[in-house]
Amino acid sequence: MSRIDFIKNTLWQNLLAWLGLAVVFSVLYYLALMMALIIRFEGLPNYLNFHAWAFNIERIWLSTPSWLDMLLIMKDEWLLEIGFMNYDYGTGISEWSLFIAPVKVLGVLLLGILLSANYLLLRNGNRVCSPRATRGAGVATGLGATLVSLASITMSWVVCCSTPTWVVGLAMMGLGVSTSLWLEPVGVWVNIAGYFFLLASLYIAASRATANSRYQVDAHI
Amino acid sequence: MNIRTKLVPVIGLLSAFALQAQAETIRIAIGHQSMCTDTYTAGIVVKELKLLEKHLPTTGKYADVEYDVSWSDYSSGGPITNQMMANKLNFGVMGDYPLIVNGAKFQATDSLRTKYIAGTGYNLKGSGNAIVVPVDSDIYSIEDLKGKDVSVPVGSAAWGMLLKGMQDTGFSKKDYMLKNQSPAVGAANIAAKKIDAHADFCPWSELMEFRGTGRKIYDGSETGVPYLHGVVVREDFADKYPEVATAFVKAVYEAGDWIRADPIKAVDLMEKWTGVEKEVLYIYFSEGGHLTLDPTIKPKWIDALAFNHGVLVKEKAIPPLDFDEWVTEEYVQAAYKDLGKSYKDEKNAMVDPALANASLPMEIWHSREGISAYKTIEDLLAAIDGFRKTGAKLNATYVYDKETGLKLFGKTAFYVLTDSGFETFLRKPDADAFAAAAKGKVMDYEAALATLGS
Repeated sequence: MSRIDFIKNTLWQNLLAWLGLAVVFSVLYYLALMMALIIRFEGLPNYLNFHAWAFNIERIWLSTPSWLDMLLIMKDEWLLEIGFMNYDYGTGISEWSLFIAPVKVLGVLLLGILLSANYLLLRNGNRVCSPRATRGAGVATGLGATLVSLASITMSWVVCCSTPTWVVGLAMMGLGVSTSLWLEPVGVWVNIAGYFFLLASLYIAASRATANSRYQVDAHI
Repeated sequence: MNIRTKLVPVIGLLSAFALQAQAETIRIAIGHQSMCTDTYTAGIVVKELKLLEKHLPTTGKYADVEYDVSWSDYSSGGPITNQMMANKLNFGVMGDYPLIVNGAKFQATDSLRTKYIAGTGYNLKGSGNAIVVPVDSDIYSIEDLKGKDVSVPVGSAAWGMLLKGMQDTGFSKKDYMLKNQSPAVGAANIAAKKIDAHADFCPWSELMEFRGTGRKIYDGSETGVPYLHGVVVREDFADKYPEVATAFVKAVYEAGDWIRADPIKAVDLMEKWTGVEKEVLYIYFSEGGHLTLDPTIKPKWIDALAFNHGVLVKEKAIPPLDFDEWVTEEYVQAAYKDLGKSYKDEKNAMVDPALANASLPMEIWHSREGISAYKTIEDLLAAIDGFRKTGAKLNATYVYDKETGLKLFGKTAFYVLTDSGFETFLRKPDADAFAAAAKGKVMDYEAALATLGS
């Protein structure tokens, strides 16, 4: 059985669990971001805004000549914004908020899909690779998930120029804002590195399984 | 009825539909900041007085056009730039540092650009940004901030001022603890004495002073770098509708005229529109106020923006910005021509508060009777004393800093009494130096008032 076949068979046999886990992970991810904001800023959100995402995407499509520019702008387009508005001064200032950007949600869902796939390949009962490979795949999964989770953050904080960016997470954790903003352009590479580790984890689990399978087949003969 | 007669109304109806279908709707979306005073002449004033609508072209190719004008309010310039990139906004109004980020971010794309088309106003020396300490703090100058916690909204114009001020004082980043904080939280921390100092942009420092929670120890004017705000527009929009961009600049000009014509009425209305106290707005928009309303683009402004870009390059690795490509005087010159004003004259004019405010009178804002003027500080103090004895409520008092000519709240100024009378100062070190040279005595507002009875 090839690596691809092993992965396909395992995931097909656990299709509901696979997709269910991915969706649950995505929901938990955004709940965790919301909780992080509530705990960090010691307050509950007090406003919620919906945005005309589809209409805005169409507008970007029609008004951006370069495909690269278009995709980069579209990925940050949001659908929903929930946050805290400070009304002590003027007509209100949004102190912090969580943005739900559909393109980013797809990225998080992909993370969930890869994470749950790795979980299913490595869990007892399905796992056929060696303990060493299991540990390696586990580390790669953890590293990949951390990187993608970090680079998929869509929170805004007024001190980080009030724009939703992944580095708000770093700034909230105590990294200097200047340093965080300096790191902002590498977000796409952090994401790519994360997905690479997740795919590498799948590869490790699958390749070991193939070797074991061959061994088992040979033993039966 | 013959067939031709029957067809006439049908053709008429179809023609009406065709014309309706041909009528273009031009969407004009503007991002502004109601909590940043220096943007008001391209923001809240233009919006509320519908000045843009007044100047929008209605002839030639615009004869059948319909306009859909919308305004969005933001707490800083950053999100305005993002919304302009997504083409949700055509125009953006913001301060110097966010303007530079706007130009550089657009130039970093393959296909999108903005143009810096007009200013809104300026302070030649850099007033508008300031460092504030809790009102009863024992910190009186930037030198006293060694080893202290200082917060600032990183990326803002105030942050640039703070870095420059600290560098000029000879402080490295190790000499003080820089913390990132939003204006509202910074102001709250000053009120609660949770931070040693907070640096912010207009009008936050005056807001803290007016509310009695903060005291300025350093004014942006001490950096000597002009503080300015301006208007950017998406290039594709301006290329397609150049007359609309010109109309916007005309609206900015008229907004300035409207404020200058009656600053008291203007700040009263602006308070209703923005929620910022009118007494605070008066320190910006009155005669002798911090802000010189002026849409022209002066060479000095480009130098200042280039300097600010250098600061950002050092701190944030901002993309490069080609100023020649980004800045254009095309629309502001066209606006002046249409309005019958001399662009050249106004471009060459420069207001230095130290000279322009030297002979301006002090003022008292009486809660019922409005604003009255006093030629000398002694007259002002006597009038305040008189009002106090009648139990009258005074909203604010205004004096001028002898060093810079800046308008100050009377209650936060330092007073120096010499043989020739009183002088007022923004900073205690300046008051101390003047008192030492003139053999005078430094005192605060209440002490100065107490001298009337002695």
